[in-house]
Amino acid sequence: MKPPRPFAQGLPIAAHVALLIAAALLVTYVVNVGVIMGLPPRPPGVAPHRVVFDTFERGFAAAKAGKPLPRSDLGDFRIEDSPPRAAGPRPPFTRDFEALLAARLGAPRDGVAISFERPPADVVIYREVRQLSVRTHGGPPGLAPGAPHGSPPPPPPDTLRSLAPQSPEVRAVLEALGTTGASAPPAAPAPPEPPPPPRFEAPAKGVVFFARFVVSAQLPDGRWLVLRQRRTADDLAWLVTAVVAVGGAFAIALALGLVFAARLAAPIRRFADAAQRVGVDPRGEPVPEKGPKELRVAARAVNAMQDRLRSLVADRTEMLAAVAHDLRTPLMRMRLTAEAAEPAVRDALARDAEEIDALVASFIAFARDDPARDARVRLDVAALVQSVVDDHAAAGEPVRYEGEDRVVMTGQPLGLKRMVANLVDNAVRYGGEAQVRVGVAGGSVEIEVKDSGPGIPAERRGDVFEPFVRLAPDKASGAGLGLAVVRSVVRAHGGAVAIDDAPGGGARVRITLPL
Amino acid sequence: MTSPSPDRPRVLIVDDDPAIRQGLQQVFVRSGFEAETASDAADMDRKLEQSGADLIVLDLMMPGEDGLSACRRLAAQGRPPIIVLSALGDDADRIVGLEVGADDYLSKPCNPRELVARARAVLRRVKDDDSVRGRGDVYRFAGFKLDCARRELLDPDGVLVALSGGEFRLLRAFVERPERVLTRDQLLDFAFSSDTDAFDRAVDVQVSRLRRKLDRPGAGELIRTVRGEGYVFAVRPKRG
Repeated sequence: MKPPRPFAQGLPIAAHVALLIAAALLVTYVVNVGVIMGLPPRPPGVAPHRVVFDTFERGFAAAKAGKPLPRSDLGDFRIEDSPPRAAGPRPPFTRDFEALLAARLGAPRDGVAISFERPPADVVIYREVRQLSVRTHGGPPGLAPGAPHGSPPPPPPDTLRSLAPQSPEVRAVLEALGTTGASAPPAAPAPPEPPPPPRFEAPAKGVVFFARFVVSAQLPDGRWLVLRQRRTADDLAWLVTAVVAVGGAFAIALALGLVFAARLAAPIRRFADAAQRVGVDPRGEPVPEKGPKELRVAARAVNAMQDRLRSLVADRTEMLAAVAHDLRTPLMRMRLTAEAAEPAVRDALARDAEEIDALVASFIAFARDDPARDARVRLDVAALVQSVVDDHAAAGEPVRYEGEDRVVMTGQPLGLKRMVANLVDNAVRYGGEAQVRVGVAGGSVEIEVKDSGPGIPAERRGDVFEPFVRLAPDKASGAGLGLAVVRSVVRAHGGAVAIDDAPGGGARVRITLPL
Repeated sequence: MTSPSPDRPRVLIVDDDPAIRQGLQQVFVRSGFEAETASDAADMDRKLEQSGADLIVLDLMMPGEDGLSACRRLAAQGRPPIIVLSALGDDADRIVGLEVGADDYLSKPCNPRELVARARAVLRRVKDDDSVRGRGDVYRFAGFKLDCARRELLDPDGVLVALSGGEFRLLRAFVERPERVLTRDQLLDFAFSSDTDAFDRAVDVQVSRLRRKLDRPGAGELIRTVRGEGYVFAVRPKRG
């Protein structure tokens, strides 16, 4: 991930989020407006009834003549064995249109069927009903500018009922024309006499739009010619374009969001890594003060903390050095002075000086917790333990080694050496001897130091690892820090340490360190 | 630099504590050295200018320029060998001292006679081979890397193989004198302090331990036995 561009680098996270939202909204609106302005208008799903009838008439003529059915943009011609069943409700004017179509085709009235998969809007019904009413029943000419010629026969109640208006507006119009009575219920039984064939004419003015229509007529052979409106290819293409445009807008907004999120997350991740490094080693690189404003504030706080830690560590190192200097300089003087004394006095003084020095050394070793001075490396822990054992053996101590020749792990060499040396010192001092073993078991190293002393009582095994705890205060030297140092080294390596009784008596310290 | 006078080598003791200066001076004089003292780094420079020295015993924590920086500065020039004598006796401190160019490192309080013995050993080493200088050296041989300051041996896989004090001194004696037969007496001399009661057999034990740590499949024997005479380090290490 390349570093963020400088223009928005220092903004607060809230501003980043606001920018993201604004950008996403912008993209969405631009695309939406583009869809509306740029795409061709959606092809209408309706066709004027006259166009439908013309098309059907051509198809009917072709079917009667046995010619191939014409192709049409409106829909598909098919020849079926029975009239299609109406899927939707039959609007009240349907019968009039059926009669109209039958007249045009010269077919019997019940040889024609029109149905709709979805009812047309009420207003369409209203407009057409008014015209049909005027035409069919001959209202006052002033009221019907497109009035048909000739005087119409008396209104057939059947037609009136078939027109039974659904909406109050339609009813109002019809009442004004005096062609229907509000008192006459639409459910009134049909009069017995057969209706005379109405004289239908296509309205001179006004157009009825058909939508989702199914027009059919019976052919002379008894089968039915059916014309079903289809959704045009244009319509589909329009839909596809719209979906692609909206999907594209979504994808762009999503990509924007991802980029923003990555840009926000990268400095946070860098910050976390840097803070982690600071925790391990206060002298490491400071956390870079980059990225969103909140992060820069946090980085500054961490860096200030790092400064304090660093000066704390420096103070402590300085203090320890001063302690070492102030305690060891007189010890050195003492040894030099002792050189002038007779050998017995000199050796006694030398022993005392060494003892005090050992105490000073253990305090400093315990107080100095400085991982940077002891880097983690790949090391042969078997060779390391052996070298400690050999050094003790070379000094004439009863120390023995057994076990592996080579075990490679990652660790801090000085710390591990100090750990083993402390255990061997303890074993020799309090247990008379040290038997050291290194083994490998299940992905970890086992270091075992056994002695042949009195062992450690079970109830004290927990607290011997605490600093300044000493089990044998009467024994000459020691500050009670040896095992505390052991525990801190073990912990620094993610291992565990335990004390139990050696099989043959004596204490046994067992350390497990992950490989 | 003055060449070490065989009879009475001149040692310059640099320490800010007057009692220690005086005490060390007496110890060295009693052991047959010519001993001078300086109370800080500036004083040391003056004394070196005036009369030179065959060896410097240098304290680290002094007012003014501290011992480490003085040691680093002297190491950059052609300077007499340096033994650091410091109150900081930690392994890490010792490594730092040797890395800036000290020839040996002792921590206070030390046995004054051991200091004298180490001083003699350093002078002998300088006389023995003038090119062998500084304990902060690094030697490479057969894929191994020996860092004398850290007393670290890295094997060809880069794994640290710890050496005991005896093993380290023995290996250092070998790599400093490659392809040369070293008798057991010589090795005792190089590798064991005079206060250790070491026998010829102890050398053999150390050599066999060292051989085990240097043993890698496919590689020949680095330390060969010369019957009746001693041992020879079979390869010539590269320095640095």
